[in-house]
Amino acid sequence: MLNVTNLHAHYGLSHVLQGVDLVGNAGEVVSLFGRNGVGKTTIVKTIAGWVKPTAGTVRFAETEIGGQPADRICRLGLGIVPEDRRIFPGLSVQENLELGLLQSPGRSRAEQRAALDRVFESFPRLRERRHQMGTTLSGGEQQMLAMARVMVGKPRILLIDEPTEGLAPMIVDEIFQIITALRDQGLLILLVEQNVHRALEVTNRFYAIERGRVVFSGSAANANDRSRLMEIIAV
Amino acid sequence: MPEFLDYFQFVLAPQMLNGLSLGVAVILMALGLTIIFGLLDVINMAHGEFYAIGAFLALSVGALGFDFWVMLAVVPLMMVPIGWLTEQVLIQRVFHSRERHILTLLLTFGFGMVLEDVLKLVYGPNTQKPPTPIGGGTEILGIFLPNYRLFLIVFGAALILAVWLVVFRSRLGAMVRAAAWDKDMASSLGVPVRLVYSGTFAFGVALAGLSGVLLAPIYSVFPTMGRDFILMAFTVVIVGGMGSIQGAVVAGVLLTQVQAISSLYISPVWSDPLVFGIMVMVLMVRPQGLFGKLGNA
Repeated sequence: MLNVTNLHAHYGLSHVLQGVDLVGNAGEVVSLFGRNGVGKTTIVKTIAGWVKPTAGTVRFAETEIGGQPADRICRLGLGIVPEDRRIFPGLSVQENLELGLLQSPGRSRAEQRAALDRVFESFPRLRERRHQMGTTLSGGEQQMLAMARVMVGKPRILLIDEPTEGLAPMIVDEIFQIITALRDQGLLILLVEQNVHRALEVTNRFYAIERGRVVFSGSAANANDRSRLMEIIAV
Repeated sequence: MPEFLDYFQFVLAPQMLNGLSLGVAVILMALGLTIIFGLLDVINMAHGEFYAIGAFLALSVGALGFDFWVMLAVVPLMMVPIGWLTEQVLIQRVFHSRERHILTLLLTFGFGMVLEDVLKLVYGPNTQKPPTPIGGGTEILGIFLPNYRLFLIVFGAALILAVWLVVFRSRLGAMVRAAAWDKDMASSLGVPVRLVYSGTFAFGVALAGLSGVLLAPIYSVFPTMGRDFILMAFTVVIVGGMGSIQGAVVAGVLLTQVQAISSLYISPVWSDPLVFGIMVMVLMVRPQGLFGKLGNA
């Protein structure tokens, strides 16, 4: 469903992505592992349309999305839960969620309300706090809001970057449960997560990234692949 | 005591109400500036000329035989494509440059000068005075006020409220605020950020044009009319906080009242320096202004 070939990206003069190849299919969690600053977040941002690739292709199903504006990419069904959550200050929880509805235009009022109700059922805390400003929520609740906000669209691919950073263990469990549930609904999840051991529990396949390149790819179920990964990222 | 009441009824109150009628027009102008700054991070130096264009377009519409109410509806609509084109053709060209602040500032400043000369070429350099659309006056609690100024206060206040409702209580407004805060994230949720930029710029320009229509019957119309007024509007935006809607309203009322009341006691020549002095003081004590940015509410 997602096909990235020979992807290059620059920040000014620094060559951040130096030819990344990766593939993702419906119904799997694909994780990107690597130390800080190797380009994992840049891969996510480039696929989402926040960073323009300098070479290479990004295909979503049959559509080339590399270098397209982010709003067009999201309407195809690619959602992003970014690092640091990026909740809009000055917007209530409800307003944050309503913005998410724009990802899949052309739905009737009733369908939109149903989409909101569905995420409120999955995240009852958000319903209780829907009139509060988004940034007054706790870190865990903001992470839930960031996930709920893309889920009110109809994403087929979700890019999730550092979802558990700085969160309490109980909330981390909850987040991994949600990721598993979304995968089981047939979504492709591209995950960046520092907590490698926890991430491997939900991961199907992974890529190890070093200096803007994929240096190894393997299956999370394979013990040899896992130990090779640990050597590379040295954790 | 009765002396003070007389003073209030015949001197102070009329002056304050006059100040208020100017205040709402300044606020409309400042709202356009502050919304454009809050969303696009662009200081629109041509805003005063858009105000002048609004006033001149009102003259033209009037010359065609239409009355004031038609101007009020038609001129802002005519301003929308002007603002839209300015954003698309001028602002967007340099928007992604690293020197955006300086480039857009110089660009809009130069464009304002061009517009001013275009107005001179088309309408001539002379001052024109449109007829007052609503004549007569009304006595409220013993205070006499010209009807047109009364209309200006009520209509302006309603318009300011409407802008506030659109920005803070509608989905469109949520899109604008989200884009102002984090354009990448907004874009990834489906907000057409480019369209929002152009639309907001056009909206701000339409508000400037509307202030031009509203103030033309009071202040006369001439090509450089935007210059004095833009200074006041900028002062309001700076004191209120760049990008803040509440700030523009509070500072707009405050500063026009200071101007109106002080000119009773000191020479009106000194009321402007007083207002700008307040701006300098605010910049020294609270450089971000009284209120925060648009996205931050």
